[in-house]
Amino acid sequence: MSADLNIILPEIFLSIFAMLGLVVGAYGGKDKLAALFVWVTSAVLVATAAWIGFQGAGTGRAFGGMFVDDGFARFAKVTILLAGAAILLMSESYMARRDLLRFEYPLLIVLAIVGMMVMVSAGDLIALYMGLELQSLALYVVAALRRDSVKSTEAGLKYFVLGALSSGLLLYGASLVYGFAGTTLFAGIIEAAEGETPLGLLFGLAFICAGLAFKISAAPFHMWTPDVYEGSPTPVTAFFATAPKVAAMGLFARVVHDAFGGVIGDWQQILAVLSVASMFLGAIAAIGQTNIKRLMAYSSIAHMGYALMGLAAGTAQGVEAMLIYMAIYVTMNIGTFAFILSMEKDGAPVVEINALSLYSKREPMKALAMLVLLFSLAGVPPLVGFFAKYSVLLAAVDAGLAWLAILGVVASVIGAFYYLRIVYLMYFGADESELDTGGSGILWGFLIASAAAMVFGVVNLFGVEGAAAAAAAALVN
Amino acid sequence: MSLFFIVALPFLGALLPGVMNAAGRAACAGVTFVVTLMAFVGLLTNLPAVLAGQVVTARIDWMPQLGLNFTLMLDGLGFFFAFLILGIGLLIIAYGRHYLSRNDNMGEFFTYLLLFQGAMVGIVLSDNILLLLVFWELTSLSSFLLIGYWKHLPEGRQGARMALAVTGMGGLAMIGGLMMLGQIAGSYELSVILQNREAIQADPLYTPALLLILLGCFTKSAQFPFHFWLPHAMAAPTPVSAYLHSATMVKAGIFLMARLWPVLSGTPEWFVIVTTAGLVTMVLGAVIALFKHDLKALLAFSTVSHLGLITMLLGTGTAFGVFAAVFHILNHATFKAALFMSAGIVDHEAKTRDIRQLGGLRHLMPVTFVIATIAALSMAGIPLLNGFLSKEMMLEATTKTVLFDIWWLVPALATFGSLMSAAYCFRFIGHTFLGPRRDDYPAQPHDPNPGMWMPPAILVVLVIVIGIAPALAEPFVKLVTNAVLGTAAEVPDKHIKIWHGLIPALYMSIVAIIGGLFVMAVFKPLLRFWESRARPEAKPMFEGFVEGIAVIARFVTHRLHNGAFTRYAMIGFVTIVAAGYHAWVTGTVGDATRAMQQVGPVPIAGWAMLVAATCGLVILHRNRFLALMMIGIVGLMVSVGFVYFSAPDLAMTQFTVEVVTIILLLLALNFLPKGTPIESTPLRRVRDASVAIIGGLATFALAFHYMLRDAVTTPISEFHLANSYKGGGGTNVVNVILVDFRGFDTYGEIIVLGIAALLIYALTETLLDGPVRRKLLNRVPDQPRAGDMHPMMMVVLTRVTMPVVLLVGFYIFLRGHNEPGGGFISGLIVSIAVVMQYMASGFHWASDRLRYPYHGVIGAGVLIAGLTGIGSWFVTKPFLTSDFTYVRIPPFNEFELATAALFDLGVFLAVVGAVMLSLESFSRLARRANVEDSEYPMDIDPSRDDPPDARADAPTGGG
Repeated sequence: MSADLNIILPEIFLSIFAMLGLVVGAYGGKDKLAALFVWVTSAVLVATAAWIGFQGAGTGRAFGGMFVDDGFARFAKVTILLAGAAILLMSESYMARRDLLRFEYPLLIVLAIVGMMVMVSAGDLIALYMGLELQSLALYVVAALRRDSVKSTEAGLKYFVLGALSSGLLLYGASLVYGFAGTTLFAGIIEAAEGETPLGLLFGLAFICAGLAFKISAAPFHMWTPDVYEGSPTPVTAFFATAPKVAAMGLFARVVHDAFGGVIGDWQQILAVLSVASMFLGAIAAIGQTNIKRLMAYSSIAHMGYALMGLAAGTAQGVEAMLIYMAIYVTMNIGTFAFILSMEKDGAPVVEINALSLYSKREPMKALAMLVLLFSLAGVPPLVGFFAKYSVLLAAVDAGLAWLAILGVVASVIGAFYYLRIVYLMYFGADESELDTGGSGILWGFLIASAAAMVFGVVNLFGVEGAAAAAAAALVN
Repeated sequence: MSLFFIVALPFLGALLPGVMNAAGRAACAGVTFVVTLMAFVGLLTNLPAVLAGQVVTARIDWMPQLGLNFTLMLDGLGFFFAFLILGIGLLIIAYGRHYLSRNDNMGEFFTYLLLFQGAMVGIVLSDNILLLLVFWELTSLSSFLLIGYWKHLPEGRQGARMALAVTGMGGLAMIGGLMMLGQIAGSYELSVILQNREAIQADPLYTPALLLILLGCFTKSAQFPFHFWLPHAMAAPTPVSAYLHSATMVKAGIFLMARLWPVLSGTPEWFVIVTTAGLVTMVLGAVIALFKHDLKALLAFSTVSHLGLITMLLGTGTAFGVFAAVFHILNHATFKAALFMSAGIVDHEAKTRDIRQLGGLRHLMPVTFVIATIAALSMAGIPLLNGFLSKEMMLEATTKTVLFDIWWLVPALATFGSLMSAAYCFRFIGHTFLGPRRDDYPAQPHDPNPGMWMPPAILVVLVIVIGIAPALAEPFVKLVTNAVLGTAAEVPDKHIKIWHGLIPALYMSIVAIIGGLFVMAVFKPLLRFWESRARPEAKPMFEGFVEGIAVIARFVTHRLHNGAFTRYAMIGFVTIVAAGYHAWVTGTVGDATRAMQQVGPVPIAGWAMLVAATCGLVILHRNRFLALMMIGIVGLMVSVGFVYFSAPDLAMTQFTVEVVTIILLLLALNFLPKGTPIESTPLRRVRDASVAIIGGLATFALAFHYMLRDAVTTPISEFHLANSYKGGGGTNVVNVILVDFRGFDTYGEIIVLGIAALLIYALTETLLDGPVRRKLLNRVPDQPRAGDMHPMMMVVLTRVTMPVVLLVGFYIFLRGHNEPGGGFISGLIVSIAVVMQYMASGFHWASDRLRYPYHGVIGAGVLIAGLTGIGSWFVTKPFLTSDFTYVRIPPFNEFELATAALFDLGVFLAVVGAVMLSLESFSRLARRANVEDSEYPMDIDPSRDDPPDARADAPTGGG
């Protein structure tokens, strides 16, 4: 028992932190404490990330294998925690100025992160579901954080209903799998799922995949994404675009490899279809957008398509590529959203892309950083985004999915268009941008740091690759 | 010098001009010149090795896992291009220092220029194709910055956008192509790939790889149909045009085609695509160039045309074609760069590039005139200049090229292209320099200082030297040709000569030159004809294409993401059904292991009722009250189904839950409109209905499939059946699971239940303080209320039945451990008994008689359950370990006492409290809604003596 608890100590720690925070907040100064909470929470998240990151190697299993702590989980957790901390720091001033900074906000984020940590460590269908719901419930609430805005509440409601629907699907799939395998443990399912796949298992697999595809917003289960991205407060959107994606992707990898590693051919086709649909839909639909938040929604859909391509390879190399992709994707998105958060005119937030016209004249440094990020998002060499895209393409080709890689390349060509359009606007737009200059130093710092990472990361990707390789090896064996 | 230094020098040097911007213009240009010169000299130090036929290499591992390494190689081809890039770079830098005006930011310009130069050198020296790709895209990036350098010009902005969009996307496409190439060859090193001609051409991935690579090459080298971006990029400063758009960047595509020539060429795909694209580009570019009035546009289209020529030569797939191509690359680089610089001088001095405002400049700018004329004549293919030599080789090559089985097609088009080419060269000379002197130049032109005319002059000297003594260049050209051909073919045993004899190419040349002169003679009518015709213009087409994509994108988004939740749900459902169908088709459908059971008339009747009620619900759902009744029937039938399938616990639970939820819904319905308005069109309803029916049928099929098959593994029920009595002391498995095996879960659940009830209480309480309260107070019921809210019959009946119901609850509770029943069900039963009092006698009356607050009941329940669990610690057992024993207390028979019963009591209390608290909270909403609740239990009470007035329209009270 205590050995089990030792393994989930970081999760317990964060849960207790969140609950204590709620009590202190409720009986203390309420929203007056919010700013303090944000800073403390970020510090706690970073500390937890360091704790997990330097925990050492090896695989620990708690509660009879329901909870797995291996290299893969640690990699995903560190990414999630750091992304969460970064987004929290970025949101503080934005939310405070718009009177959105509730003391529950950082704590809900922590609870969502605990859910995500459980997700990536899940070794059992029940643990999977528990983590997923803990995450989702917290996210439903933060999506509707701006209660007096119709858009935000609508976003929250849509997200909730569709999310509940997808959870139901996932549960249905899980029960079918259980009905077939007689166990909810991944370790047990993988023994049952071997050789030719019986129909029952296949259905379960398909439903689970559909449920998870919703969570990572892969097409055609992506429908909620643009509305929720647009409706939620921008910092929340930034959060949606980063940590939960990593968690859901990690969970996806866990399910397909830990539980269904014996029937790769069966889920490979599902993932490949999801991947193609996401890449193309994201790329094509993004072109017509005028709202940068909606654009980022489609962009994230397309990026999930690429990450799925890595996963679809069904190899350790593919998982490694997916992890690299996600880590790089998160870094790019943090920078991009730092920029979006700083888009203001007379203190009011601006989300129109056209407002960026000739931005480079006003803020050459920020425009240059954004140029780097956008090129990186488009996957243009030699920026780090290229390596992300390249790894997944390579994994797909190596796994014999050349057609998937070719489609991915075609989609990336289409997708490059809208990133380049923003670059073009910033440098050669028609009329002068009227956005405010200056702004928060924190946002500036994240933007520059993220852009710098895209440039200097080309040396060795900051060693992410080695860590990802170890993580992938822990998962696929 | 090591190859690393040659590549790195421009990059490192790029920092200097930016830093030294304050030191002055000369310093910026000077440092750039020195850096380039160092790289150039470094390159030359490798010349002996290259001449000796060696391949100089250098290698650093970068990301070997990805196949990406920093490997460089220098052979004849690489040397040739690097020589051009750095050599012409030196001239351009010298030229640019004088060309740029005082207002231009020198440091910025030269920084970009050096970045670009480094990237170009990187491309031509890369051994690793991924490294090549990296440099390739770096040129796109740096050229974007260079083209947009003059941001104030609107056409510059457009040009930059087009150039970036077209070349950037081409580069992205090339990622895929090069990756597949590496995949086939098993290595990303060119040195390995080039050895695998047969394997690559036999691979099924060859065609997609070829297409993607050619996409990159064609976009970069402005080949048809991507030729349109290059002329628009000419808005950049002239040094940039001369360097990027004639000498270097646009040759990158040519370079790559040449580099990969040994492995890609020779197949029908290669031949048809490359030759056709080259031929079309050549002719099209030449024709358009002739009618351009802007000097730079004229030169730009001529560049397009010449690039097409080179591409076509590479496309022929013959060694002689390559030989001619290499030679023409060299010649084109010399005369075209000279021409661009001359045009720049004219622009710089006369302040216009419009050929219609020029003419007669030979008197004013004699030096420029000589330089430009020689270069232009070379381009026109006049003998004794280098352009003639390579053009004649090209024409000779075309005579042996048969495309689409038409022998005359290629030679005829090539001759026509040369003809137009000669014509625009003559026009360039004639309309700019010849003719009478004018007096309306925008500025008074004169020859610039030598700093500007020296660089083109040096090139023109080369033009003449090669033109007269081709033997001097021949060994070098052969060396490069050899490097291109690799092991795929032998260098042709031909010599570059001015006089080859009376071969067809000579006649074609003569036709071209005479024809060119003729075209010049009739130029004016031709121009009128040209301008009177509507032509497809590339720029609006590009804009239209972009706009078209945006329209498609908007269509997709608006169709898919119209914000309607139903559409989102529909897409999700349809996909899932499709996925299920796919699984059905591809999965292994095992044989049924169970037989169908006999079905009697009663189950069929029940089933029919269930279906009828469900259909009725769908049809009648707009009348909410009827819908509620239908839901009640459905729930009832499901309970009956549980009974039929021997699940009494489930049936009882379902039944009681059904009652409670219906009451709850009734309560809610009280505040809602009585009907649902019709918002959807019939078409949409049909669509939704079909989706629903398909989904339902699919679920049915799935369930049917499962029920006919045994579970693969032993179901967990076996374990519970075997251990329920042994371990938990009860024969009712369901109850034992709830209170014993999974007692911990149940404990969590009752806590959650309690929290939920408290939350409902808190929420309704908050609601009543807010604007909702005002709304409720002002609410006018939309229908007259029943006169008799609390009928006597019902009051009496509920009071009489209350003890009975409580007794039943108690009985169910007690028997729970061994027979169907238990704390949960009995809690619901007791709740129903109490709720009935509320309904019958009114909220006020009932709550007055309530002695225990529901909060407390919930707390007591949780506490009792928790204490029961803790109790097991005293006997050093884990939390919630249950125990049971049999006792005999007269006058009863022997009976069982289990700790689980105590726990069940906790469950019972928590359920009662939670259900009652939530119902009470909801009904409080109603009670405050402008309703005077009677303090009497019955509206008509014979024992009371109140007048029966104003009762007819008395509003309703709590449910």
